Amino acid sequence: MHDAVPLKARPPVVDRLSLAMRASHVLVAVFVAAGLVFAAVGAAIGDTFFLRLATEALIFAGLALSVDILLGYTGLLSLGQALYFGLGAYVSAVVLKEIPSFWAAMAAVLAVSLVTGLAAGLIANRVRGVYFALVTFGLAQVAAKAVYNTRSLGASDGLIGIPIVPIDLGITTVMSNAPAGFFLVTLTIIVILYGLSAYFLDTPFGRVLVALRANERRVPFLGYSTRSARLVAYVAAAVVAGMSGALYPMLRGFVSPELLFFSTSGNAVITVVTGGVGTLAGALYGSVILTVLKSVIGSWTQHHLLVIGLLFMAAVIFLPKGLMGLVRPRIERLLGGDVK
Amino acid sequence: MTVFLDYLQFVLAPQMITGLALGVAVVLVALGLTIIFGLLDVINMAHGEFYAVGAYLALALGASGVSFWLLLVIVPLVMIPIGYAVERGLIQRVFNSPDRHVTTLLLTFGLGLVVEEALKVVFGPNTQRPPTPITGAIEVMGVILPNYRLFLIVFGIAIMAGVALVINKTRLGAIVRAAAFDRNMAASLGVPVTRVFAGTFAFGVALAGLAGVLLAPIYSVFPTMGRDFVFLAFTVVIVGGMGSIAGAVVAGLLITQIQALSSLVVSPVWSDPIVFGIMVLVLVIRPQGLFGRLGHA
Amino acid sequence: MTPVLEVHGLGVAFGGIRAVDGVSFVAERNAITTVIGPNGAGKSTLFNLISGLIRPHAGRVVLDGIDRTAAPPHLMQRAGLGRSFQITNLFFELTVFENLRLAAQRLEPQGRLLQPVGRSDRALARVDALVERFKLGAKASELAGALSHGEQRRLEIAVALAAQPSVLLLDEPTQGMSHADTADTAVLIRDLARDVTILLIEHDIGVVMDISNHIVVMHQGKKLAEGAPAVVRADSAVKSAYFGHA
Repeated sequence: MHDAVPLKARPPVVDRLSLAMRASHVLVAVFVAAGLVFAAVGAAIGDTFFLRLATEALIFAGLALSVDILLGYTGLLSLGQALYFGLGAYVSAVVLKEIPSFWAAMAAVLAVSLVTGLAAGLIANRVRGVYFALVTFGLAQVAAKAVYNTRSLGASDGLIGIPIVPIDLGITTVMSNAPAGFFLVTLTIIVILYGLSAYFLDTPFGRVLVALRANERRVPFLGYSTRSARLVAYVAAAVVAGMSGALYPMLRGFVSPELLFFSTSGNAVITVVTGGVGTLAGALYGSVILTVLKSVIGSWTQHHLLVIGLLFMAAVIFLPKGLMGLVRPRIERLLGGDVK
Repeated sequence: MTVFLDYLQFVLAPQMITGLALGVAVVLVALGLTIIFGLLDVINMAHGEFYAVGAYLALALGASGVSFWLLLVIVPLVMIPIGYAVERGLIQRVFNSPDRHVTTLLLTFGLGLVVEEALKVVFGPNTQRPPTPITGAIEVMGVILPNYRLFLIVFGIAIMAGVALVINKTRLGAIVRAAAFDRNMAASLGVPVTRVFAGTFAFGVALAGLAGVLLAPIYSVFPTMGRDFVFLAFTVVIVGGMGSIAGAVVAGLLITQIQALSSLVVSPVWSDPIVFGIMVLVLVIRPQGLFGRLGHA
Repeated sequence: MTPVLEVHGLGVAFGGIRAVDGVSFVAERNAITTVIGPNGAGKSTLFNLISGLIRPHAGRVVLDGIDRTAAPPHLMQRAGLGRSFQITNLFFELTVFENLRLAAQRLEPQGRLLQPVGRSDRALARVDALVERFKLGAKASELAGALSHGEQRRLEIAVALAAQPSVLLLDEPTQGMSHADTADTAVLIRDLARDVTILLIEHDIGVVMDISNHIVVMHQGKKLAEGAPAVVRADSAVKSAYFGHA
């Protein structure tokens, strides 16, 4: 093997995937900055409603993030992420009612999400494509019906009376019913989930997931078991969804079976597709935009789902890369890549 | 012995007939779904909503005086241009994108959402039920069989036979199968592939609509009826084999019988998990289903 | 010297048809062993059996002295086997750079798996070297799907070679290539053989005779003949199989 030209003399090849990820970081940084401003303004004017609405948008952004990890990076469409989101919410609610400790609830949800994700993942990952979508759908349906019919979990009414908990962050303590405070806590957690996801997706392991989406058949010949890789991605997505769901009862004070229904999973998919599949940032922006849209359209007509559905279909046809797809290439170019 | 005969007469047989009536309708819906997948390679997540549209059309037209017998003809006919337009206008737009399966799945998922909401807007969210077209029952060997369910079974089987006949024995069916097997080859042989695809989609959708008309008097009509039903339909298609007509028939009848009989033994809450369990079992043990694909021998 | 790859009595049947039937041969270290045969002879199936894509019903595959029969593809790769495909099987939506980097990242120690991609200097150095050797420099930032057919075939080989396998299976590498590209590729393969043991499926008889050290002829799933190029060329059974007469 002989190199005709010394390595340093040639211009370095751009790693387009890393560049794209960095562009997402920029977008998320802007998102966070906007969030901080929003919190400051909200706290100053003593607002409760909009801060709580925004917090809810962020919680569902976490669910959307879990969908994007699977769809945008591993190439798996899960129609049942609500299973983990709802599970996280219920586990959190149950724990909080016994032990009003934020960290206890989060730890419990982490453990339950891992175990459930692994168990369900072993079933779901035996298949791919539309079969995978249907199995994940079925898993969530079965769980939803089970919870709906379980009296000790409140059956169709769900669980109410979740206590307000103090969140001890070491330097300060935030009460879970403090609008701006809890908004910031949620923002931090979602950004941490984003950060961890983004980090791992830009490692050699994460690139194997990307390879799965690009051409699954070739991946074993790279030296990796596709089954193992998909399982890890699935469990990671389960944990992200679960941890996001854990925050829900702290915000709303109750949980209900709707959190496990298909509409919750479906909304997350719509969020990711409109925001931009495979960008991670799209999940965050998409959730906020969709929440705003729902509120705005919801004030005109009670059939906002119709409008959202049509917008979604339009996005699938005309904007396959989502809203981030419009913005990200420009940022990539600014960051120094020659993106065609 | 008499206890067993009584059980057979008053519990088991009626339950099996109920299951068979549902099964026949499920097969019609699943047939449409499997034909659409087998030919177009499209996963139509809005299929359940077309079933609902058929039921609502029956409700609306029936309420304005159209006779049930006419409905059996009119509703599928109305569904055909609807299905054609959906395929030409929506699905073909995304057909050539790189990850077609995901994109069509998402698109039809969105369509299903829109249709369901539209039904809610037009007809309201409440459950409604059109009157049973054929009342009364006959008695066979001491078993009471509702007339309408019997009609449903006979009519449904006739339609199934008709579909099988058209697909397997007519020139039109041969064209459809050829286009499914190799669309480029079919196109170069002069088959108007675009129209065949759109027409087949329309046909599949019409079958779903017909099933909606048939089941409406029994199971009532409500906006989310499509979504509840589609999972069962997909399970039937998977168990039978994506693209297999025989598979849809066998799996449809089998699974609904299992559902019907199991609800005698366990609480109805277990109905969904049982169906889901069957789907997972088949996917794990024999992922291609009981039979093969439409276009392939 | 111990042969790197040994195949003993390998066989598989599909629905009653014996696609590969009792095939045995060895691929000597740093030599080019070429498998030839008419269409349907079972050559690609043989590759699929060796690389782990299909489980054999009979026989053994021994790599570097260790029995690796029925090992799945990812374990065969880790055992030192690289493979290219007859129908280009790249990551078309990813860049040439990423295709190579993905294939080369196995060179990194396990710990690097969860560190940022930029830190995999061994893999990145390997990518640079491959881009150089396979003359893909100008297209390194392009999507693999945007390359010309000849460039894609070159990339196929490069990807198979990236993790420094001890045995390289090349399935019709010159398929669809122009004359000039084919000649260049033949030179490239011969050059590769200095470091890697090569098992080649090839249809271009000129290339076969030119670069092969050893030829295995397959016909209807069985091994018909084997030997040095000149020997095989003169074999009457081989001529009969190809041309229908002795």
